[in-house]
Amino acid sequence: MTWLVRAAIVMLYPRVGDWPGAEDCDLDAFLERFRRETTALMWIGVVLGSLVFQLTPIVTIFVPLPASLLSKEMANHHAERVSTTNIYLLRQSVFLVKLVAGMVWGGHPSVRERFALRPLPPDPGTWRTS
Amino acid sequence: MSGRHIPFRGQDEASLDLEVDFVVVGSGAGGAAAAVTLARGGARVAIVEAGAWRDPEDYPSSAYGAMRDLMDDWGSQVTMGRALWPVVQARTVGGTTVINSAICVRTPDDIFDQWKNDHGVSGLRDRVGKAQDRIERELSVEEVPENARGLSNIYAKRGADELRFPHSHYMRRYVKGCEGAGQCLQGCRGRRKQSTNLNYVPETIERGGFVVSSAPVDRIVFERNKAVGVTGRFVHPATRASGTRFVVRAKKGVVVAASVTHSPLVLMRSGVKLRALGKFFRAHPGTGVFGCYDEPVDMNVGATQGWASTGFREKPGLKLETLAIPPELVASRLSGGGAVLMQRLAEYRHLAMWCHAVRAESTGTVSQSLIGDKPVVRYTLDRADMERFRQGMILLAKQHFAAGAKEIVPGIAGMPFKLGPDEVHLLDDAPLDPRRYVAILSHLFGGCVMGKDENTSVTDGHGRVHGFEGLVVADASVIPTNLGVNPQHTIMGLATIFAEEMLAA
Repeated sequence: MTWLVRAAIVMLYPRVGDWPGAEDCDLDAFLERFRRETTALMWIGVVLGSLVFQLTPIVTIFVPLPASLLSKEMANHHAERVSTTNIYLLRQSVFLVKLVAGMVWGGHPSVRERFALRPLPPDPGTWRTS
Repeated sequence: MSGRHIPFRGQDEASLDLEVDFVVVGSGAGGAAAAVTLARGGARVAIVEAGAWRDPEDYPSSAYGAMRDLMDDWGSQVTMGRALWPVVQARTVGGTTVINSAICVRTPDDIFDQWKNDHGVSGLRDRVGKAQDRIERELSVEEVPENARGLSNIYAKRGADELRFPHSHYMRRYVKGCEGAGQCLQGCRGRRKQSTNLNYVPETIERGGFVVSSAPVDRIVFERNKAVGVTGRFVHPATRASGTRFVVRAKKGVVVAASVTHSPLVLMRSGVKLRALGKFFRAHPGTGVFGCYDEPVDMNVGATQGWASTGFREKPGLKLETLAIPPELVASRLSGGGAVLMQRLAEYRHLAMWCHAVRAESTGTVSQSLIGDKPVVRYTLDRADMERFRQGMILLAKQHFAAGAKEIVPGIAGMPFKLGPDEVHLLDDAPLDPRRYVAILSHLFGGCVMGKDENTSVTDGHGRVHGFEGLVVADASVIPTNLGVNPQHTIMGLATIFAEEMLAA
């Protein structure tokens, strides 16, 4: 199901001009790590949110195609509409995907550099063992 | 006599069986303050904490790492109600004091009157005040220093002063020589923030106590109606695999300070049946309004939270403050998706986020989920609270413009993404439906509220659970009213005096 999540994230955070998109931010490595480390409930939520994203162009832009088959322009249109729809549960499902995607995009050194922020040191993931 | 830290133990290791005078469940503001008070009184204390012990060198740098390593259940707890709003709490030695902004506000005087008149709890004012005096000295409380204020906090003060907001001030925090790293939410790697894992918890060990980490308490052990210990099973900090069992016996008493969402559950699982258990949950729900400025604000430079106004606490019932969030979180906080979102994100350096939190009168409940041991929080703001919520947004919008913002981003679904100075009036008619807002519940109260009447409270005014011996609750779950200010100082003050009373008993 990682491909489904990846597709949604790339469309939500696309490359625009010289601004890096999520796919320029080591997305595959991040998703691999996220799937391994997160709780089952969180992963299921993100997969469901991505599925919602994939299946709803018919609702948002009235095109009966999965989001992955849309042109770039239509995908942008769908990403904007589904993120701001008045249907609360739909918006919240996609919000969860946006939240996770924000972690990879906003934490990446290439993005932080644009914001005049130093690269983040790696998360040690350690704790006291004695 | 020297104590020690007992970390995670796997299933193939011997189970832990420990005996002390007092066991304290939780190591946050309440648990650590109670534990150190008991230890200073000469008692042998064991702190049993659900999360791992992470020192500043272990703290994550990223928001992702903070969710993974420091938050309870990856920060995925949300309210069940009309809107799904996150309930933020930590799960680590030091509890939420590791990930909060260390804001120190003394318990307002009127709160003691309210406790006395509405809940029959009296005699706390002077003793809490004395405890708070000492805690402020010990944890080096100071105003945000000039060199750590950052533009966002400075602009907030400027806007508030321009509008003559009452009680506009740079915050006092439990921080020693803040360097303005903007990393409060991920834990202060510079050791400036005085979270309890850096002081009261190690002091408890130095005084002969124990810290059992990665050890979520399943239930309290009783002999008849006397609490005599706690039991549970270790959980691995990374894999969440179950470890071996632990039993910590307490000769003199058990203090529960596992948080507003977990303390009621520990009591419920242990067979405590009181009508008010899990009820009267309250919170400070709030949201942020971004101001867009011509010049870069770089809100992540300087104290994460450095300015506040407590002047609206009584009317309309709000607190206002700054809150800097990193790009990782701004990315999801701004509305939209696709190319439009990316264009909005490009403005990050020019954004400053200021927040309100509502002193909400709405109440909810905490219960255990049908599957697993997770808490379920049922909570929805009523109309009066939503009107306060909207008023908070209007105040923040005006404050941004008074500080020089060109536009604001209110973040309300169904409203324009940005509003100019002459469009603030549109917020007067902003929706009162909580689903239109991206909000968060930062400070929680209740679930084991104190009071005189056993039908409407769980503990008495000393934190003692009605009908039980040697069982005290000492965290924000005993607070029966909404404080309208940051609760850490009140929690620490109450926990301290409850522990003093346990020693004297």
